[in-house]
Amino acid sequence: MELMSLLQDLQASAPAEWMRTSVKAMPLVEGTHVLAAATVFGTILIVDLRLLGLRDVRRAFTRVSDEMLRLTWGAFGLAVVTGALMFAANAGTYYGNTAFRLKMLALLAAGLNMAIFQHRTLRGVAAWDVNATPPRAARVAGLLSILFWLSVIFLARWIGFTKGYDFAVPDDAEINFQF
Amino acid sequence: MMAFAAWLHATAFSQMIQAVRWIIPLLQSIHIVMIGIVFVSSVVIALHVLGRVRAEESFQAVWGRFAPWSRTALVVMLVTGLLLVVGEPAREFSALSFWLKMGLVAIGASGTAAFGRRYGAAKAVGAARFPASARLAAVGLIVLWGAVVLLGRAIAYDVEMWGAGVLPWN
Repeated sequence: MELMSLLQDLQASAPAEWMRTSVKAMPLVEGTHVLAAATVFGTILIVDLRLLGLRDVRRAFTRVSDEMLRLTWGAFGLAVVTGALMFAANAGTYYGNTAFRLKMLALLAAGLNMAIFQHRTLRGVAAWDVNATPPRAARVAGLLSILFWLSVIFLARWIGFTKGYDFAVPDDAEINFQF
Repeated sequence: MMAFAAWLHATAFSQMIQAVRWIIPLLQSIHIVMIGIVFVSSVVIALHVLGRVRAEESFQAVWGRFAPWSRTALVVMLVTGLLLVVGEPAREFSALSFWLKMGLVAIGASGTAAFGRRYGAAKAVGAARFPASARLAAVGLIVLWGAVVLLGRAIAYDVEMWGAGVLPWN
C-alpha cells in the first residue's frame, strides 16, 4: 500500500534514525513538545475566556487575541516540528494507534472550529469587539476551543499508555526497587 | 528513600491509582494543563514587565488578572503531582529530574510570589517602569518554569538524561 511504504520511508529517514538512536533526542524533543503544547493551551485559554466574556472584559477582543495568538502560532509551529520528529521515529506504531488517530481528529476539530470562527464570526467583530459579552457564536467557539484542546492534551498523553506496551504490573510481580 | 517508595507503592491508595488504567494518564493530562496555565501566566507577566503586552494596563492590573490563575493552577498541579508520586513512587524518587524539578518549582513559586510582593501594587502605566533587575528576574522566571516542564518529561528518561546511579539511594 502506498501509505505504508511512505510511513516506512519516513521511519527510515535520517531524522527518524536520530530520534531513535540519540540517547537524549527523545526526552528533549518530547519535553519541547509538551512545553509548546502547554503554551498553545495557555495562550488560547486567555483568548477563549475573553470570547466567553469571563475575563479581560474591559479589553477589546481583538486586542487580547492579537497579543496572544502570535505566541500561540509560534508555539504551535514548535509543537508541529517536534511532533513530526516523534511521529517519524515510530511512524508505523503511531499510525496504527487509536489514541493518536483520535488526537489528530481532535486537532482537526480545533482547527475547523477556529476556521469557522475566523471566516464567519470574526467578520463582524467591529460590532462586538469592545462588548463585555460577545455574540453566541463567538461564545460557542470559545467553549468548543477549550474542550477540543483539552481533548488533544488528554489523547496525546493516552498515546504513551497505549503505544503497544502495557505499563500495568501483574499482581504477582516482584518489583525490584534497587533496579 | 527507596524503602519508603516500596512502602508507599504497597499502600491501598497507591494500588488503587495503579490499578485503574486511566487514572495516571488523566492526572498527567491535568498536570500538563495546569503547568500550561502557570507557564503562560509567567510569560504574560514577564512580557508586560518588558513592555511587550498589556502596555496600557498597570502592573497591578496584570498581576491581579494572572496571579490568581497561576496560584490556583499551581495548587492543582501540586495535588495531581502528589497523586502521581503516590501512584508511581519509585519512578519519581529514583529520578534526578524529579528532584531538580521540585527544587525549581520551589524557587519558581517563591520567586513569583516575591515579584508580586515587590511590584504587585504598582499602579503606574507606561514604558520603562521597571529596573533592569526586574526585567531580568521576569525573564528568569519564564526560563525557570520552562525548565520545570522539560524536567517533568525527562523523569521518564532519567537514565538517558543523567546516567544511572546518580542519586545516592539508587
